[in-house]
Amino acid sequence: MHLWKTMPFLLIILSLLPAFVMAIFARWKREVCPYLAIGSIAFSFAVSCLLAFRVMGGETIHYHVSDWLPPWGIEIFIDELAVMMLLLLTGCFLLITIFSIKALPKEIPPLATGWYYTLLLLTLTAMMGMVVTNDLFNMYVMVEVTGIGACALVVAKGEKLSTEATLRYLMLSSLGAGFFLFGIGFLYQITGNLNIPYVATELARVREQYPFLLWATMSFITVGLGVKAALFPLHIWLPDAHSSAPSSSSAILSGLVVKVYIVSMLRIYFMVFGFEVFHETYMRYLILFLATLAIIGGSFFAFVQLELKRRLAYSTVAQIGYIFLGFGLGTVWGITAALLHIIIHAFMKTCLFLSAGAIYYQTGRKKVTHFSGLGYQMPVTMAAFTIASLSMVGIPLFGGFITKYALAMGSLEANNPYFIILIVISGLLNAAYYFPIIWQAYFTSGHDVKLKMDLVPLTMLIPIVIMALGIIYMGIFPGGPLSFLEKAVTRFVF
Amino acid sequence: MKVSLLLANYPYVIAVILFCLGCLCILTQHNLIKKVIGINIMQTGIFLFYIAVGNINGGVAPIYDPNLPEGVLYINPLPSALILTGIVVSFSVTAFALAVIVKLYNYYGTVNAPDIMRMR
Repeated sequence: MHLWKTMPFLLIILSLLPAFVMAIFARWKREVCPYLAIGSIAFSFAVSCLLAFRVMGGETIHYHVSDWLPPWGIEIFIDELAVMMLLLLTGCFLLITIFSIKALPKEIPPLATGWYYTLLLLTLTAMMGMVVTNDLFNMYVMVEVTGIGACALVVAKGEKLSTEATLRYLMLSSLGAGFFLFGIGFLYQITGNLNIPYVATELARVREQYPFLLWATMSFITVGLGVKAALFPLHIWLPDAHSSAPSSSSAILSGLVVKVYIVSMLRIYFMVFGFEVFHETYMRYLILFLATLAIIGGSFFAFVQLELKRRLAYSTVAQIGYIFLGFGLGTVWGITAALLHIIIHAFMKTCLFLSAGAIYYQTGRKKVTHFSGLGYQMPVTMAAFTIASLSMVGIPLFGGFITKYALAMGSLEANNPYFIILIVISGLLNAAYYFPIIWQAYFTSGHDVKLKMDLVPLTMLIPIVIMALGIIYMGIFPGGPLSFLEKAVTRFVF
Repeated sequence: MKVSLLLANYPYVIAVILFCLGCLCILTQHNLIKKVIGINIMQTGIFLFYIAVGNINGGVAPIYDPNLPEGVLYINPLPSALILTGIVVSFSVTAFALAVIVKLYNYYGTVNAPDIMRMR
């Protein structure tokens, strides 16, 4: 019974512990490391499923670390949003780690293959901690650990380009963390608390007295987490870091790491400041403006890239714009769309980056102009790639369409129908840079093509296929996830 | 009077100045080591801010002492404890950044950012 109660804490600790045990194996038995990591992540996934089962039953889970009660101690709080993120994180990490068993030795120096899993587990732990914590300072610590872990995942490749990208990423991310910490300092100064519900009640009482400080706090937190989440003008570190990393790292960074910061931002805006402040302080308009720039700008930048992974990285900038757009609309449909896009984009980007990794594994090709005939050499991989691309563009029956629909509903609900035009234009732009790749792969290879099976190992193919099936599932049966997310949104918005 | 208000709260002013100085240092310096020093200056500013938030004028360290007179105030120990964590985090970021810079130096033979950009 005691174990049942401490489950949220075990979730964090039991994925932190193998991270450091891994260091021992990394020295002597390097080939065991991936399987140890998979075991640990599978355990986390199972615990997340159990937690999800409990939360679906209608309860929210509070756990006080070492029995210190809320205003003083750290509290772990698991609601629908946290459970959704936990399932997404552990599920995607499981698939990506399975992918990396065979893919990794080809992309990073052999000495690093054992240590890589230490970093992987550390990043996962910090991200899970950030999602479940209910304490602002603890959130900052988790933000920093995620930042360092993510940087180390990039530098693991050990090439010139990735080292340089890492340094830029590290500088900007510690700058962002500094801003975030200053924002938390302001909140602590105003309210004298760090626990989110306590801060919220105190802030609601005294915020009339500190109009300027409230502004400063909001802008510091927006800039701090905005740098980390690659909100458009602050995205400059992203393309280099995401494209020069090993492909399993790219999938993690692009699909998951930038999202957890958005979830933290969502929590701070709606659970600390509350809905009214968000609407009163015009922060909403800033976010809407930057999201529009991100969607248009990211798509144009992606359009001119010739290297596949760089194109995917810029596409991430645009997709982050969608999430912020839904978030800035500030209605139930809008925020639901943002959360849904967090899930679906994680599926799509992971699928695309893993396919890019598989293509590199078999053929060594990186440029989108060299893809002719790939559709017949690697039919399974390219089929998954095509599904993910169609979903990016927003064709009905694929997951991307559902978020575009939900965003359109949200912009109608927010009385701002112009954003529907933006959504349509961005869909066309996405088509402009994804369809040429597919065209190249299937239709430009002359007449003497023979259909062959992929030559990549099954451990690489299966994760890609599962992701592609997930996208189709979300596109055809969106009802269950949508109603769950709507419950998550209504819990903290109204 | 505004100036006297600023003078009375001088720790906050210094914290803000340090923070701005650190940011400027990160964004404008060409030397990578100086950028790392900039990160440290910025974080020192934030730490000073937290300590100033927890401080009470005339307060003593929060350790119970029977010899102290009645009615003496203890300062808030929580921000100091938080900053202890913050210092550890900042230390690890610095260590990691320096390790990456050593690696860059091995590749390019310089720690000057524009030179590295030119050699790419």
